[in-house]
Amino acid sequence: MSSGTLPSTAYDDLPYTRGGTVDRAEVGALVQCAVDGDAAAWKALVEGLSPLVWSVVRAHRLSDADGHEVYQTVWFRFAQHLGRIREPEKAGSWLASTARNECLKVIRSLTRLLPTDDPQVLDRVSEDRTPEQSLIDAEDAAAEAEQIRLLWQEFEELGDRCRQLLRVLMASPPPSYVEVSVALGIAVGSIGPLRQRCLRRLRARLDARGTV
Amino acid sequence: MDTGDDEGFDGTEFAEIDEFDADALEEELRRAAAVLDPLPADLLQLAMDAYVLHDLDARIAELTFDSLVDAIPVRGAEAPPRMLTFQAGGLTVDVEVTGDGLLGQVLPPQSARIEVLGGPAAVQPLTVDGMGRFASQTPPTGPFALRLRTGEDVIVTEWLRA
Repeated sequence: MSSGTLPSTAYDDLPYTRGGTVDRAEVGALVQCAVDGDAAAWKALVEGLSPLVWSVVRAHRLSDADGHEVYQTVWFRFAQHLGRIREPEKAGSWLASTARNECLKVIRSLTRLLPTDDPQVLDRVSEDRTPEQSLIDAEDAAAEAEQIRLLWQEFEELGDRCRQLLRVLMASPPPSYVEVSVALGIAVGSIGPLRQRCLRRLRARLDARGTV
Repeated sequence: MDTGDDEGFDGTEFAEIDEFDADALEEELRRAAAVLDPLPADLLQLAMDAYVLHDLDARIAELTFDSLVDAIPVRGAEAPPRMLTFQAGGLTVDVEVTGDGLLGQVLPPQSARIEVLGGPAAVQPLTVDGMGRFASQTPPTGPFALRLRTGEDVIVTEWLRA
């Protein structure tokens, strides 16, 4: 352990958006336009930030029904508060933190948390594959689907902390560390090192299985 | 105990290679999520439609008490009713959600027209007495909000999952 090393600089220079399609710097402007009645701005906000909300919901492993309700609640409330949000440029963090709070309420209201049924998730692959991919190069597609399935399986078997963190990080466009921080209630400074460790752990699992 | 190789953040060549690998693996996960755990299209559409819920003229009654968060758990009680309190200025709305429906009271007591909103397109009026007591026989399923009209004021409670 080189506890004397301060790793902060290594991820401080990561761009805020980490290369997303929605420039988070423009989020504030989009919120303002939506407040002023621009429906296209609202659409852009939803398209850009929905995957973040979804990933926070999925990271908390709610049932499909509960997860869908949380997702809706978050967007309904965001629409309701539009124009009253104090820092519009941080709408992503607002959404992530609201999603987290609603997820925690669901978990609190359940006597026992039922995790996502893995076979069900895996079934979606076969559903996806049957109609379309049988038409294209079957062997390549099957190999690729198999690889994705194995990757997902190993990801699902990671510990709770890693699985949660990676599920939020893999949102598209990639969330900022501030958004990840409020989505999961972990310090911004812990995300870089934890991410590194979790991805290394996942890589080790994949290597052990002999997959790429 | 963690191995020391977690700490390779000081710009050494090894750390850079390691960082590159991590990014690539995260990108693979992003692609896998798009295939195996995508945002359902109908949910995306609901968020799009939610724009109509934006109402600058209405005041928001903020959730100030939620038994799910603020109350001490009742031992042995099977399904204690969800108690909610919303506040907007001097106006308070107490709501109790049970399996049988909604029960509530506007304070200070006053007549009001009250509707239950269930989404961008779902509106259901409630019966209210002259003291602002209201009831509904249908428990809300999923997200809901109450819209109150008192005189010239429109007040909407914060959206909440029942």
